[in-house]
Amino acid sequence: MNGNIGRRWSILNALAAAALVCTACGEGSAPGGDGRAPLTIGVAFETLQTEFWVAAWNKLRADTAARGITMLEAVADGDPNRQFEQVRTFINRRVDGIILVPKDGKTVIPMIRAANAAGIPVVLFNRPADRTDAPHTTIAPDNFAITRETVAYLVDQVRASGRKAKAAVLLGDLSDVNAIERRDGFEAAIRDAGDLVEVVARIPTAWNQEKALAGFESAMQAHPDINFVFTSSDFMLPSIKSVLSARGRWKKVGEPGHVLLAGFDGDPTAYGLMVDGYVDATGVQDVFWEAEQAIRVIEEAKAGTPPPARLDDPGFVITQANLSSLAGRMWGAVMSKRAEAP
Amino acid sequence: MRFAAALRAGPIAEAIRAPILLLWAGAALAFALAVPGFASAANISAILISSLPLLLLATGQTFVLIAAGIDLSAPAIVGLASVVGGIVMSGDEGWLAGRAAAVPAGLFAMLATGALAGLGNGLCAGMLRMPAFMVTLVSGMFAGGLAVLLVRLAAGTETMFALPRAFVAIGSSPAAAALVACGCALAAGGLLERIRYGRMLRAVGYNPLAARVSGVPVGMVTAAAYVVSGTLAAVAAVLLTGHLETASPTHGRQLLLDVIGATVIGGTSLKGGRGGVWGTAVGVLFLAMLGNALTLLNLSDFMITMLKGLVILVAAIVDSARERR
Repeated sequence: MNGNIGRRWSILNALAAAALVCTACGEGSAPGGDGRAPLTIGVAFETLQTEFWVAAWNKLRADTAARGITMLEAVADGDPNRQFEQVRTFINRRVDGIILVPKDGKTVIPMIRAANAAGIPVVLFNRPADRTDAPHTTIAPDNFAITRETVAYLVDQVRASGRKAKAAVLLGDLSDVNAIERRDGFEAAIRDAGDLVEVVARIPTAWNQEKALAGFESAMQAHPDINFVFTSSDFMLPSIKSVLSARGRWKKVGEPGHVLLAGFDGDPTAYGLMVDGYVDATGVQDVFWEAEQAIRVIEEAKAGTPPPARLDDPGFVITQANLSSLAGRMWGAVMSKRAEAP
Repeated sequence: MRFAAALRAGPIAEAIRAPILLLWAGAALAFALAVPGFASAANISAILISSLPLLLLATGQTFVLIAAGIDLSAPAIVGLASVVGGIVMSGDEGWLAGRAAAVPAGLFAMLATGALAGLGNGLCAGMLRMPAFMVTLVSGMFAGGLAVLLVRLAAGTETMFALPRAFVAIGSSPAAAALVACGCALAAGGLLERIRYGRMLRAVGYNPLAARVSGVPVGMVTAAAYVVSGTLAAVAAVLLTGHLETASPTHGRQLLLDVIGATVIGGTSLKGGRGGVWGTAVGVLFLAMLGNALTLLNLSDFMITMLKGLVILVAAIVDSARERR
């Protein structure tokens, strides 16, 4: 190696080491208000790519800070191996509890077992694990029921119109239990509708907006008469809007040619599009309640209360009919710049 | 005298000369002093175990980069091999569910999948002289799509579970996983350093025309590098699938930047002809250690990604500077 470059490397090396030492600031944590030692909770999310996860993340941050709890943060960017390493890091740091949004219901099971072995309670936030005997708490919405009720609202609109509908459904990542339950809820509502609704396109998106856009574009190409759309997550609504707008089909509720449209989550985009009159309904998860419960479960476990196996977020369906009365409970409305926080 | 001679040549010399070793040692010392919990035995063990799949993938990438190629399909081969293993072995939907032959047959199917995918890349990039970037980009897309198709046909969902305990133990037992990964890395290092193939590979990467004139079978040597890369990707799939107890087409999907980054940080040239497995191993450890320490420091995910990207960029700049000399 050339001497100059060697010297440069040495300088870089020294600078890097110095910078890393400087960033290694000590962690402070507020003293517990009730005399108990302050807790440390590890929060590991699979992704922060949608507003839903950001809302949950920010709520956990705010609530832990308010309660004098140290929150260790980790995001796996869709890589379960990386998430496992992050969980191990939390275990090595001897955290008091772990709040986990897993990549899927299966890869999380060894992570739960690792935490169990260290005696650390695990809360699965919004995404359940597959069947396992490893003890943990799941806090999740009843995806099936909320989706079924949301899609049933669209079916009621079809019935009221006196015409039949051709439907498209945008599916999530089918390795994610939430996506599977929402798909099943959709299919159940369609079965209940008899021959009123024919599903002509089931579009896999893997929770990816670009895939949603390409898939829905292809579906509209093959079936230009699609007039009933359900998306398994509201974050894909912009893709749907883009395709329908390009075809002159982006119409408000009540306008001729309106495509019946519903989603799931209750995010700020959905709220805005409902206020504007383009989206008929969306199934809402109470993300703030879920975050509060996740922290409470770990606090109580630390105090000696055995954690529950599951806490159901009841959620609700928000429609054009009840928007004004229920917006205050919709997290997307609370986050939206277009609404005053209740 | 013999010891001094050994220091002047071979893997030890390569490691000592590599600037990454100095950076790694400096950073490790800084982290150990400043990051709470970093130097604990449990944490060091966690770093080593989590970096094993990356070590295998980066070792394969080292071969391809030395041949002046690139293998963008390696992460997709991991997912495809994982799914193939699940289809053969899974206790729920596997062809050989519950049979004694399930594990050996599953392992063979996974390794064969990786080797065949690598051979396909090698034939196109080496024998047909197609651009490696395009070949492996397209084959990666194909392998990724095929993996999803196969798992859906076999299981109706996107993951397969209930894998045999003996198979899971390979990836989930730290000792077994370390033995497999380090054994493969040592064998690959020996292939590069100790036998004629390694010299031919460097000659091909450094100047393919001169190598051809010298009688080196350029196409075959290049193709073999892709076979090594594909096979090691399949071994990485064995570890990941066992470690996570799940066969999934998404395994390895996020690793491409880390694979190329670790290889370049380890001193392997992006322009071919130069590099080695030992430097790559240090590069892998450096990246794994950096990610772990930054997580322990509770830096945000964006900051961690940014710093890792910065380190890889600096390594690429240094590589370019060395090439210009």
